[in-house]
Amino acid sequence: MNSFVQITHEFAQSVEPSTELNFQSLLFENDFKAVFPELFLVLASLFLLIYGVVWTTSASTGYPLLLRNVNWLALLTLLLTAMIAANSPIGHGVFFYHTFLLDDVTFFFKMLVVVGALSSLLISLDYLERESVNGFEFALLLLLSTSSMLFLISAADFISMYLAIELQSLCFYVLAAFKRDSEFSTEAGLKYFLLGVFSSGLLLFGCSLIYGFTGVIEFSELSKVFASLASSGEVYSDKVDLVQASQAFGASLEGSPLQPPSAGGGDGHLAGGGSLVSTSSWRGCELGMIFLLIGFLFKLTAVPFHMWAPDVYEGAPTAVTAFFSITPKPALLVVFARLLYQSFYDFMIEWQTFLIFCSVASMVLGSFAGLAQHRIKRLLAYSSIGHVGYLLISFCCGTLEGLQGLAIYLVIYIVVTVNIFAVVMTPLRRASHSAQQQQGVERIKYTTDLAMLAKNNPLLAATLTVSVFSLAGIPPLAGFYGKAFLFWAALSSSQYLLALVGILTSAISCFYYIRIVKIMYFEAPQNWLSFSRLSKESSLVLALTTFFVVALMAYPYPLYVASHKVALALSM
Amino acid sequence: MVEYLAIFIYFLIATGLAIILLGVSFLASTRKPDPEKISAYECGFDPFDDARSRFDVQFYLVAILFIIFDLEVTFLFPWALVLNRVGLFGFWSMMAFLLILTIGFVYEWRKGALDWS
Repeated sequence: MNSFVQITHEFAQSVEPSTELNFQSLLFENDFKAVFPELFLVLASLFLLIYGVVWTTSASTGYPLLLRNVNWLALLTLLLTAMIAANSPIGHGVFFYHTFLLDDVTFFFKMLVVVGALSSLLISLDYLERESVNGFEFALLLLLSTSSMLFLISAADFISMYLAIELQSLCFYVLAAFKRDSEFSTEAGLKYFLLGVFSSGLLLFGCSLIYGFTGVIEFSELSKVFASLASSGEVYSDKVDLVQASQAFGASLEGSPLQPPSAGGGDGHLAGGGSLVSTSSWRGCELGMIFLLIGFLFKLTAVPFHMWAPDVYEGAPTAVTAFFSITPKPALLVVFARLLYQSFYDFMIEWQTFLIFCSVASMVLGSFAGLAQHRIKRLLAYSSIGHVGYLLISFCCGTLEGLQGLAIYLVIYIVVTVNIFAVVMTPLRRASHSAQQQQGVERIKYTTDLAMLAKNNPLLAATLTVSVFSLAGIPPLAGFYGKAFLFWAALSSSQYLLALVGILTSAISCFYYIRIVKIMYFEAPQNWLSFSRLSKESSLVLALTTFFVVALMAYPYPLYVASHKVALALSM
Repeated sequence: MVEYLAIFIYFLIATGLAIILLGVSFLASTRKPDPEKISAYECGFDPFDDARSRFDVQFYLVAILFIIFDLEVTFLFPWALVLNRVGLFGFWSMMAFLLILTIGFVYEWRKGALDWS
């Protein structure tokens, strides 16, 4: 009531002439330049939405499907986004009241995400047409989730992080259930939705705990609060006033609309009777951090929280599975790395223990459960769980090499995943029954469907062999360098257990990777299948990715330099 | 905050009054139920078939649309109150938000989600 009176009062006064500059309109003058790629991506997808819906419902043109058309426009949008991001006028900085930040890390991972989305759409063009996934909305959901991943990469506080994750997940739930007439797809969407929402809830609870105990949501401010706590002596016994610490650093956020409320609330607390005992708030922050970790590990499908992944990967349309396994990992991992290395570096002992457990468990489960799989998408799901385990090694190192290993491994993993999914989405033609000769819409379900691929399509078999060997980490291929770098980083930071388990499990997982090769080259098929023609786009992507996998050993320096730059920027 | 007390008391009184009104008719009326009286009213006929029927997805769509635009209104309230403080920047921010929602609305319209024929 009071505020209302005050507002009406001010409204009466506010008729003064505004000769002075209105600072609020100038406030974001330069900030929009920083989010130009995201802005373009969002606006273009909104434009495409209108374009698509107007034309697909227009009776005069006979309700065209616009599938290929919108997909190509989406590809163009992604390409332009990548070009805009590459030519961004602003390279570093914090924008929108500490909401977004830009540095070398965000640039690297944004390019990775955009190129990943681009290639995953490129390889699924043909698939989408063949499977008659006829909604033009597919490409739009893909674009919107890509834009949210870009926002996620440059998130600088809990709110923007959570909102970006939610926008991304919301698009993913719809994408997983995109084929409405398929029970598997619907089931995948529902499972993904329930578990995704649950993990988001955990994530949000972690954020709110940390905010409640510190009164700070920005990653950089959190690091200051925790550092001051840690440096002020024995954290577990001494009475360090966390509220005061946060207040001191909160004062540096001048003009921020998100002023930590601890200034008022904390004082009340102090007056109410005694200061906040630091042990409890330290413990509280630890608890919040554990919830955050669990939420992230759910999203990353690390092992104790992986149960949804195989079903979702199996049930969702293959184009969606490809998109799920290619694009979101870098975005999630980079913000995870930023949280761990920037905000929670002082909690390193705690999260390191937690992550070592998850990493070992993921590697072990990924390698052993993969042995029992005969369905190719499920196999790839378990394989990706195993690779998440390898990626988590890099966090446990806590060193520059670890972060560098993360970037290198991610790039290689994404390239190889693109390659494998390009093959998996190739249409099959069943040749055994002459009556069903024309039925050319079979897709690969089982690994045995690949039998005699070496005879039917030797080049494709060779490509798949190369990429599967690369996943397994066979020496002259790119995957080997990624794994070797990670294991070296683990060894140099004395994580002998991780390196040992990593090497052992990658030897075990070689078994099922090599089994695919064996099936392709040496196994007589039960029912004869032959691959039909690859689309031009897929073959182009296949050629490029295979070239990358084979040729990385000859010239790895750009990747090493770029990843080192990323690691340096991330650890600062 | 204190004005909520009055609303709470009002709520209690309204509930009590409703109970009293129901109770009076419950106590004062004559009740002689028989099978014909308590059977379901289907325009005088016996029910033709199972009462279960396919659920029309239109209702669901309308409910979803209501939730979306209800949220929109929730965002509009604080904006409308402080419009003279947030200035042109606040105004245009909300216009951007409304534009995005309008694009969603155009999408629904063209898709026929509002079509009840």
